[in-house]
This record gives sequence, C-alpha cells and structure tokens, in this order.
Amino acid sequence: MKFLVCLKQVPDSTVRVKVAPDGKSIATDGITWSISPYDEYAIELALEHKDSDPATTVSVVTVGPARSRDALRQALAMGCDDATLVTADDKVGGLDIAKALAAVVKEAKPDVVLCGKQASDDDQGLVGPALAEALGWPHVGMLTKIAAGGDGVELWREIEGGHEVWTAPLPVVGLVHKSAKEPRYPSLPGIMKAKKKEIPEKDLAALGVTPGAPRVEVVALEPPPQRGGGKILKADGDINALAVELARLLHEEAKVL
Amino acid sequence: MKVLVVAERNDGKLRRVSAEIATKAAAFCDVEVVEVTGTDRYHPVAHANAVAAHAKSSGADVVLTGATLNGRDLAARVAAKLGWAYAADCTDASATDGAFAVKRPMYAGKVRATLRVPTPAVLSIRPGAWTLPAGAAEAKPTAIRADASGEKLMFARFEPTATRGKRVSLSEASVIVSGGRGLKGPENWKMLEELADALGAATGASRAVTDAGWRPNEEQVGQTGKTVTPDLYIALGISGAIQHLAGMTSSKVIVAVNKDPDADIFKIADYGVVGDLFEFLPAFTAAVKKTKAGS
Repeated sequence: MKFLVCLKQVPDSTVRVKVAPDGKSIATDGITWSISPYDEYAIELALEHKDSDPATTVSVVTVGPARSRDALRQALAMGCDDATLVTADDKVGGLDIAKALAAVVKEAKPDVVLCGKQASDDDQGLVGPALAEALGWPHVGMLTKIAAGGDGVELWREIEGGHEVWTAPLPVVGLVHKSAKEPRYPSLPGIMKAKKKEIPEKDLAALGVTPGAPRVEVVALEPPPQRGGGKILKADGDINALAVELARLLHEEAKVL
Repeated sequence: MKVLVVAERNDGKLRRVSAEIATKAAAFCDVEVVEVTGTDRYHPVAHANAVAAHAKSSGADVVLTGATLNGRDLAARVAAKLGWAYAADCTDASATDGAFAVKRPMYAGKVRATLRVPTPAVLSIRPGAWTLPAGAAEAKPTAIRADASGEKLMFARFEPTATRGKRVSLSEASVIVSGGRGLKGPENWKMLEELADALGAATGASRAVTDAGWRPNEEQVGQTGKTVTPDLYIALGISGAIQHLAGMTSSKVIVAVNKDPDADIFKIADYGVVGDLFEFLPAFTAAVKKTKAGS
C-alpha cells in the first residue's frame, strides 16, 4: 500500500504559547517547532503498516513556510521514504492548501492519504475534509486503525462508546485521531539517512494554485483568563473532617454540588 | 441574513447543542432548522452532499452545526464543497457587516481568538457556548434526505469499547472526575468511579493513563484528547502537564487532589487537597453522598 501523509509544523505541544505585541499573532522567538501531534499519529499509523509489510511506502508532504523543512526531515528520520515541501506563507487559507495538496496527490497517486484530524495551532480541521472534497474521494474522520477488508480497506472511526467500522475501495482519505502505538522516536541510523535525502521544493504556482479562497482573519488573540489563588487544604489532620469541609465548600461556596 | 442550522439527534432526541444554536440564531437571523435523514447514521459524503445542496437551493448565507464529532466533520466538508469561509468550535458568533465576528479557542485552548469570518460561511458551535433559555420553544427541524446508495464508502459494523459503562458522555458532562498516574493502576479506578457515580459525573483520564492502556482513549482529556468545560472538574492524582491543562482549564470550578504540593495542577485549581489520594477519596465520596442526600 502507498501512503501519503500530510503534515503541518506547529509550536511544540510543550510550548507555553504567548501572544505577540501586535495582539494578533503568537510570539515565535525561541520556540520549538514540531510535527503537529495528530500528524505524528498519522505518520505512526502508516509506518506500522510499513513495519509489517516492507512493500508499503510512506511519503510526507507539507504546505508551509521554509522552516517546515525541519518537520519533514523529522518524518524522514522516523522512517518515511520521501518528502515534498510546498512553500507558502502562513496566511494561505485552508481551502487553497487543500488544492495544493490535491495537486501533489494527483502526481504521487497514493492509495491512502492520511492527515491529522486537526493541526494543534488553529485547531480547525478543515484541510483534511477539504482535500478529500478536492479529490472527490470519501474521507473518514477520527481514524484509529486502517486494515485490509472488503474490496479495499476497513477504516475504524472512534466515536462515543466504540468504533464505527467503515469499508471503502482505495483510494481514500483518513483523518487520524490516534495510532495503535505512540509515535516512534527517530533512530540514529534514521536521522543519518534522513540527512542525506533530498527534499524537493515546489511553490503554489508550480502546482497551479492561485490563492483566492475565502480567508478567516485574526482580529485579536488573548490568553485564557488567568486562574489561581485557590484554597489549598492540607491533609495532615482528620481526613474525614477535611473531606466534609471540601464537600461543604463545593456545596455552599462554589455551588456546584 | 439567512441561516441554515443543521440539527442532530442522539437516541431519537434532538441534541441539546442543536436546540441551543436554533434558539440563539433565531434571535438575530432568519433561521431554517433542518436534519438529515435517509441514512441509518452519519455518512461523511452523503450528508455533506445533502446539506451543501440545500444550502445552495435555499439561498442560505450561513450554515451552523454543533461542534460535535459529526457536526465538525460535516461542517468542514460542506465548507469545502461550497467554497465558503469556515470556523470550527466557535464559542460565540455574531453578525457584523458582511461577516461574522467569531470567538474560538486556538493552540489547543492556550489562546482565545477573535476572528473575522466573511460570509457566506460555515461555522460549528461548541456545545454549551450558547446556553438554552428556560422555556425555549423546541425547534422542529425539517427533514432533508441524504442518499448514500451510490457511495463507495459504506458502514460495516459497530465495535463497542469493552470497558464502557452507562456513564454520561465526557464532552457534554457538567461534572467530570479525572484520574492520573497517581491512581497507580487500572484496578484503582473503582474508587474513582464510586465518586463519579455519587456525582453523576463522566470519567476522564490524563494522557499518561490512556497511553498506558489503563483507560480507553476516548476518556483522555487534554491536547490530543478532549477539551472539556464542565461546571466541576475533579483531578485526582494528575500533576497537570501543560497539555492536560489546555483541555480543562476553562472548567468553571476545578478541584485537585495530589500528594505533591508543587504539582502544576494546584496553580489553576480553585480547591486543592495536598495529601494521600487513597485515604482522601473514600472519605470524600462519603461526604459527597451525605451532602447530596441533604440538599
């Protein structure tokens, strides 16, 4: 099976995101960039297929600024076969990104396209379904597993209380929620190999995309309201009295019990 | 402005979020409420086809869905199909000239954004963001039919999660009891569940716990799990990694129990108990039961 994983480079999930002085963007000085967590799961899910069937290939692609090359390099080090960088500034709208990815898909002809269910920066979750729409392929969201079945593949979609299992002939788009295992760390040989790989670069024009889709404009960003100054109770005396006191506070003061 | 609200049902009943959106939208717009019928369950392609076609033929400027699992999936594909602007998981939206002013979380809840979304647009609205006024007239959705008969993507079967009980769903719960590594093992969840039962709460978990396989993935609260905003969130043995805090910091009241007085969870807790979880929890469950019985 031939996989193509679409990824996005985002601030690492351990970064304490701060609003920049312009009030409309985030402060990027000195922050660590990583592959978006759900995209990492998508890579892992594809690589798990490669582990059990060496004929499987896993390609990665991103549409983003030049720094995104590092995220592609990381994916190669994890074990992906090849990578493509489509350069675009971060103002390009989701529907235009989907069009650019669709052009890459038409050239690469994968059986399965995987995207993380949403990128952990804008948390929109638009590009995956929009890519499926641009290709005229079906998509399945909340994907946790893909296996041979039916005339093509079985796609496991996590919902409340369990999984819906869908079948579709190939090709198909999956929006990944989790992989079976945690995303692997790059191995040392993997890192060495990844360093030597060429990462071809294209721009939107080369893919026939002129940005023009409606765009959502950020008017203001603000940190969530600060919390703190809570009551801290120490359990060093009568534990039952303490439990009763907390229940009383929740009932009488916080009024949530 | 003409608004198309796509309602959802759960076990035959209109979802609360659908009622919230229909009621709120009616206050400022010309609203049509529809629900998609014709298939046994949500079909990602067939439902998007039906909704996009209806949005076009009815002359809608805005499509609103609940930011539920299916609502978000649907809204994104409909936006792509129509080539409209899109914003997911909005906590507020109001019409201005030719656009919507939208509020929504970004960066996994670490930032709150105000956005300008040009119309026409598709928006999904977070459950509970628009509270339903008491005595609001129940929305009566018109049925629009989806046709999945020609679709290659087909539903095959449902595989239930083994550990699932008859508990409240996490994303719509008003009380959540969550456990972390401090519970030391899956066998100790019985204690947590007793408290959850006493409170009528949903059960959640930290990522460390779901990664270890102690609890199913669907219970994970935080950056790669669910974002929750209950009235009461009780964190038991959770240290408070930034990824976990991002998913629950907007809860109304946060209670944390942890033996480490320096745990980050105490920085955002309204009530903290520093002490042994295994001693405190049974006593607290008993106290909750008593309080509940007395109120």
